Amino acid sequence: MALGARRGQGGNGSSYLFLIPALLLYSAFVVYPLFTGLTYSFFSWKGTLRDSFAGLDNYAGLLSGAFLDQLLPALGHNALLFAGTMLVQNTLGLAFALALSRVRRGKRALQTMFALPYLVNPLVIGYLWTLLLSPAFGPVNALLKPLGLAMPWLGDPDTALPTVIVITTWQWVGFPMLLFSAALGGIPQEYAEAARTDGAGSWQVLWRITLPLLKPAMATVTILSFIGSMGTFALVYALGGSNGAPAGATDVLGLLFYRTAFASGDVNALGTSSALAVFMFTFIFGSTLLLERVLRRKT
Amino acid sequence: MRLAAAAVALAMAVTACAPSTTTRADQGKITLSVWGWGPEANYDKMFAEYEKANPGVDVDARSFTTATEYDTILSTGLAGDNGPDLAWLRAGANLQPLVEAGRLLPLDTKDVPGLAGYDEKVLRYAKGDKDGKVYGVPFAVQTLQVIYNKKIFADNGITPPKTYDEMIASAGKLKAKGVIPFAFGGKDDWMLPIVASIFGTAHWGGDEFIAAVKAKQKKFTDPRFVEGIDQLNKLKPYFPENAAGVSYTDAQILFSSGKAAMFPGGLWELNFFTENAKDVELGVFTPPVPEGQGLMPGFTDGSYGVNVKTKHKAEALKFAAWLASKDYGQLYTDTLRIFSAVPGVTPKDPLLGEVATTFDQHGATYFMNEFAYGNPSSAAVFSKALQEMLLGRITAKQAAEQLDKSVSTWL
Repeated sequence: MALGARRGQGGNGSSYLFLIPALLLYSAFVVYPLFTGLTYSFFSWKGTLRDSFAGLDNYAGLLSGAFLDQLLPALGHNALLFAGTMLVQNTLGLAFALALSRVRRGKRALQTMFALPYLVNPLVIGYLWTLLLSPAFGPVNALLKPLGLAMPWLGDPDTALPTVIVITTWQWVGFPMLLFSAALGGIPQEYAEAARTDGAGSWQVLWRITLPLLKPAMATVTILSFIGSMGTFALVYALGGSNGAPAGATDVLGLLFYRTAFASGDVNALGTSSALAVFMFTFIFGSTLLLERVLRRKT
Repeated sequence: MRLAAAAVALAMAVTACAPSTTTRADQGKITLSVWGWGPEANYDKMFAEYEKANPGVDVDARSFTTATEYDTILSTGLAGDNGPDLAWLRAGANLQPLVEAGRLLPLDTKDVPGLAGYDEKVLRYAKGDKDGKVYGVPFAVQTLQVIYNKKIFADNGITPPKTYDEMIASAGKLKAKGVIPFAFGGKDDWMLPIVASIFGTAHWGGDEFIAAVKAKQKKFTDPRFVEGIDQLNKLKPYFPENAAGVSYTDAQILFSSGKAAMFPGGLWELNFFTENAKDVELGVFTPPVPEGQGLMPGFTDGSYGVNVKTKHKAEALKFAAWLASKDYGQLYTDTLRIFSAVPGVTPKDPLLGEVATTFDQHGATYFMNEFAYGNPSSAAVFSKALQEMLLGRITAKQAAEQLDKSVSTWL
């Protein structure tokens, strides 16, 4: 409240002046490329040479049979990654946060340990896990073999995407945990105490007091997970290469864009990939706005 | 923040960073910059020979990553003013975007006399598909075959197979002894068409079949082609367990560590194995087919092109002429242990000599590079289909149908 009042009083033009440097950088590195990408998508290309105006031809190309056969599964895998992230990573993150809220000693150390993997570049993580999971030399299968559970985890289309979800969780679980921990810290102890005085058990406190009060944090985590899952590239690239091996089971929009733009060898690669980039941006941006609306309304 | 990241990814497509200037002139010397993807030291050594004979020229070799990033670096460099004077070009389909954009100088035999001697089979990979002009001096020919560990063969009383049945029997013998017969991994899907062609080219009849497909007289669904790629299924028992999950590097390590006896792959592997498995004595053979002699597929690996904007056109062309000469060809083969594309070069290395003889007698065109067009490229579609086949999800016939369908979108 105090902040809002102060802002109201000092609201003159000079404060906008301070926004200019950031705005310039933002325009040069975000708005301008976005806009050029958009214009590129309306032209046909000969390598890096702009050819003729193509109207919506590049977009029509995205919907052509051969391309659509890649686009739809890739989009589906992005959606599955999002679902898996929500189900596994964020649930675990919440559980860790709740458990940590009861820990008195070493809480900081544990938090840091959980959060550590997400400081490592996903490419490095991906490379490490391909070594760990290698069916020929990997220690994971060596440990699982006596139990009869040795599998080509990343080599079988049925297990590849779930494995990616598990690795993503391993890397990112600390992130929802930190957000939930912060939100938990913001819930006054009195609520729970009052509920207990009224005879509520700990499950009731969790279901009726803690979780409803965590809804804003859940909305934030959901939206960030959505954007992260839709834009994922580095980890899947390191795990399955640019084609989303095995047999395209880990193919996602980011890989499809990479292949189309840089690895197809197609003369019009720039046109098709710009159209794909615009589609991805519009889709992710639109869905995020929609998601935000729905989630914020509920809270 | 994540939105910003998405925007940056989008920007990557349109504004790749411009490389720094490489052309500089010192003490009246002209510097020719050459971009490529091979180890710089090797090229510095070879180009020093040219510098000795041409004191006014300093050739500056610059190496970038061999991965697809090179294509982006080069197309950006050639589009701007700071590009190289000469550059390595990809072969065939991936060369076309640069040709269409008019970034390269067409070469003729007047400037580069050596081009006249090249086999058309080799030279056409350096040509523009539409205008038929030559845009590069091809530098290497890669052959595909089986590389084997001589000691493991000798220990198990095996010799390079003369017949198909002998190959299967030998593989079975190795497997029974706990040695993986073929180190092959299908996780990196670009390896799949390579290995399919090593075992299958003779089944579908090599170049004759390729020509018939291009002339639309035959289709990839032809039973002979299906039988050829089905070899991967037939040989599956002799590949590492869960071959589709084994990566290319895993396969290399299986062979270089002596856990596997044979490695189906390109001749470029020789360098890797010589470096990483110094004590392993290597041999090569072309897998026979039930009908008899197998075919050894090969392809032109790249070429030297001249930037249309070069400030030293005369010098660049003179250098290109040297690159097409037998002198350079011999130097290339002996330095790098790779076949030079220059005609009439005899490799000093005995193993390379052996391969050269086989390739002369039983060489064929590597089919996949001929069909690497389209978006998605038919090569990518078929690699994925072969991976699915190796996983047992589709049959060889279905994989061939996918290739046929993809090729029909652009042929």
